[in-house]
Amino acid sequence: MTTLHTLIIGAGLSGLTCGIALAKTGRRVTIVSAAPSTLQLNGGSMELLGCIDGQEVTSPIEAIARLPHDHPYQKIGTENIASLALEAQRLLDDAGATLTGDPQHNHWRITPLGVTKPAWLSLRGMATTASPDRLPWQHLTVLNLKGFVDFPIHIMAHNLAQLGCQVTVRDIEVDSLSQPRRSAAEMRAVNLARTIGVGSKLRHLAEAINQACAGDEVVLLPAIVGLEDDYPVNLLRRWVTVPLHFLATMPPSVPGTRMAALLRHYFKMLGGKFLTGESVGCVKLADHHITAAYTVKSPGIPITAQHYVLATGSLLSQGLVATRDAIIEPLMGLDVDAAAGRDNWSHYGLMGDQPFMHCGVLTDTALHPLKDGTTIDNLHAIGSILAGHNPLTMGDGHGVDLLTALSVAHQLV
Amino acid sequence: MPIVSNNEHATYDVIVIGGGVTGAGVARDCALRGLNVLLLERHDYNHGASGRNHGLMHSGGRYAVTDPDSARECIQENEVLRRIACHCIEPTDGLFVTLPDDDLDYQATFVEACRQVGISAEVIDPQQALQLEPTLNPDLRGAVRVPDASIDPFALTLANVLDARLHGAETLIEHKVTDLIVAGGRVLGVRALDHRTGLTHDYHASVTINAAGIWGAQIVRHAGIDIQMFPAKGTMLVYGQRMGQMVLNRCRRPSNADILVPDGAVSLMGTTSDRIDIAQVDDMRVTAAEVDLLMREGEQMVPRLAQTRLLRAFAGVRPLIASDDDPSGRSISRGIVCMDHASRDGMEGLITITGGKLITYRKMAELATDLACRKLGVDAACTTTTQPLPGSQERNVITGGFKPSGKSNSSKRHGDRRRAIPATDALDRMNICECENVSIGEVRYAIEQLQAHDLANLMRRTRLGMGACQGKSCACRTANLLAQLTGDAQQAQCDLARLLDERWRGAKPVAWGNALRDAQLTAAIYQGLCGLDKAIGRKEVQP
Repeated sequence: MTTLHTLIIGAGLSGLTCGIALAKTGRRVTIVSAAPSTLQLNGGSMELLGCIDGQEVTSPIEAIARLPHDHPYQKIGTENIASLALEAQRLLDDAGATLTGDPQHNHWRITPLGVTKPAWLSLRGMATTASPDRLPWQHLTVLNLKGFVDFPIHIMAHNLAQLGCQVTVRDIEVDSLSQPRRSAAEMRAVNLARTIGVGSKLRHLAEAINQACAGDEVVLLPAIVGLEDDYPVNLLRRWVTVPLHFLATMPPSVPGTRMAALLRHYFKMLGGKFLTGESVGCVKLADHHITAAYTVKSPGIPITAQHYVLATGSLLSQGLVATRDAIIEPLMGLDVDAAAGRDNWSHYGLMGDQPFMHCGVLTDTALHPLKDGTTIDNLHAIGSILAGHNPLTMGDGHGVDLLTALSVAHQLV
Repeated sequence: MPIVSNNEHATYDVIVIGGGVTGAGVARDCALRGLNVLLLERHDYNHGASGRNHGLMHSGGRYAVTDPDSARECIQENEVLRRIACHCIEPTDGLFVTLPDDDLDYQATFVEACRQVGISAEVIDPQQALQLEPTLNPDLRGAVRVPDASIDPFALTLANVLDARLHGAETLIEHKVTDLIVAGGRVLGVRALDHRTGLTHDYHASVTINAAGIWGAQIVRHAGIDIQMFPAKGTMLVYGQRMGQMVLNRCRRPSNADILVPDGAVSLMGTTSDRIDIAQVDDMRVTAAEVDLLMREGEQMVPRLAQTRLLRAFAGVRPLIASDDDPSGRSISRGIVCMDHASRDGMEGLITITGGKLITYRKMAELATDLACRKLGVDAACTTTTQPLPGSQERNVITGGFKPSGKSNSSKRHGDRRRAIPATDALDRMNICECENVSIGEVRYAIEQLQAHDLANLMRRTRLGMGACQGKSCACRTANLLAQLTGDAQQAQCDLARLLDERWRGAKPVAWGNALRDAQLTAAIYQGLCGLDKAIGRKEVQP
């Protein structure tokens, strides 16, 4: 096997972005793809920086300068953030994920519970607003499909009404769902997208919406169409006679699945290769230099590359693993920034600023991870495996994924 | 200063304080004997020790050597419950196993003691035991088969409450007794605060029965009476897999961490026993040391537990009565204590029923009701040894059992009462909890007929969110349904946040591996994607 330019471990948002950026320059890149990415939890938007010290941020670029020195944005240089952000938006757009937004000014996405959260980019068609406490409509209709339980419409309507709107809740009966409705598992958003998001069923859905909502000012529908691309989204919006926007559902997310599919497709188009359903079982290290990687399924076949990129994610994606005694990076035993003693990894009160969310691998400013205090010179770490940030309290997860990926890609070409 | 309402309340024959299994059993027995009864529960049914235990229907074997009176109570009630509460019971049987570190001589002592009190105890070959329970430690040296079983304490208490209500009892949850009304050496009733309205009411009765478990000492203090309770904290672990078909016990003197009980699709390992300060009773936290001890001992009995996922840990407090200086409470009798405060303390109209076990609740209720009847001059015989509970009244009720096929388990939870669950509409038949097969109709039934009004008490009525996913997907669906049915979306989303915190409280002591990963996933969904913290206006960080 000839040597790759780069082997990327992990096919989440950061791994795919890094792979695309490298493949665009003609480099030979392979991505090892073990499991579905956390884009499944996406609400149709990307966050760059949403919150700092508990306060929502209106201008991410301006606020980034105030981040602590160990934040990943500080490592890639706060002066580079604006241009990297624009580059990320272009890359997503080239992949077919049409997102609108501006790194200088956050807008607000609407969550499945009907509250607003700061966002940098949102997929075209998603319901958004320019202000955290006001919606751009007076009367809005939230419409659900009977039996779709992963859309908390009554709580959502309550919270949307707090933003000064009159909210009408409606549901429509769609014949093709009488069968799947027998089990909640069949009624998940991505299954619905497969069932009703295609062909004549999409046409029927449009007719049902038109019948139920004729004359309404605006209709908000759960994001249940457009699993692979946004054709069904655009068609539905054209066929429906009233203004139609989409709202994020509980996971698994259709917009998130679509973005992952588009990025994977784009990477392949650029000549990139996937090892799907594989994971790297071990790497051979010599003098803080990786000489080969081996997958779990083919432990006898070395994969060699000039560069390796670790994009395996946080605890959630098992890029980090908590044993009873320590939080470790399971593949190479890299240095992890985590408190000693499992009592110190978390607090009571789940939705606080949990220490385990900040855990990650330690790196130098070029994002080379450390092992026993020394960097591994042909390895970079990107995305949510990095220490020093908390996507849940800071709203910086997607930005860290995208921008560290691009920053490393620039270093490697 | 709480507002005391002026409206006159009806006077009752009996007021029962406490909605655990004992209080529910007392209310039922009183109602069946024609008494006019009111039950007051400060939070929800089974909020205390009745909902925080192994779910083990003891054969009595565990106490046969050290506490034969209690063992005899257990086996008698074990036989009664199989008749009257079959829908709450999975007749698993149990094994008492001797491991390499245990003294095999104890087995003979154990078997003899069981015979003395009437517990069937059959010595079986270790190889046969391994065939019955392949996950047992292969080095075991002995095994004895006894009639232990797995019991659903939530279904049991609810069936008692339901029958009490069907026979005219009033039962109120979220009503905390704040004082006893005392005059002339007699308790005339209670003063209770309604948590939901913030109003305080007086309720009068000829007899007040204190069935408040570990909180009972605080109740009688309002009448100037002192009971020395011994709060013995017992911690348990919930493993996310059913490890075997039978209850597994260590064949040794009762000690820490020697019982593993199969409960539906999961297994419960326990317990510890440590005296705690009474002030801690309302805020119990499981320590790392307790978890480590339970895991170490559990893995000796069933080595595969080492590779089995832990879902959570929880602790309950046994309402024992202090008798000596035993620091753990292990040597205190699990026997029933029924106090007539007239003869004990010169205070008429007040009874305390405490001690005992989950499975001796019926006997406890009988004793307390007998005493109340004597005080009231009512001559009515107890019928609860033969009269089946609602849910177990049809001959062919399916006894509880693990159904891996994923078929609805509502028949286990509600027995023959499942017919009352709405199921004609296709939406009602839809499951919203995939782990425990809870349908929308079952949630409606719990709200409309079982006094459920929030997510936490829906969980106690239906097992919603108790399964492998620990509520990640179903909590939000149910909160939305609650918002729809009650019209109070604000309350529903606060409930949702409280429920997630409560689940996390259970998971935190075992938060490594998949439990920590799961916590991150739950937080990513509810805090990250949904902004639930923003929805309920919570910004501060809890320590």
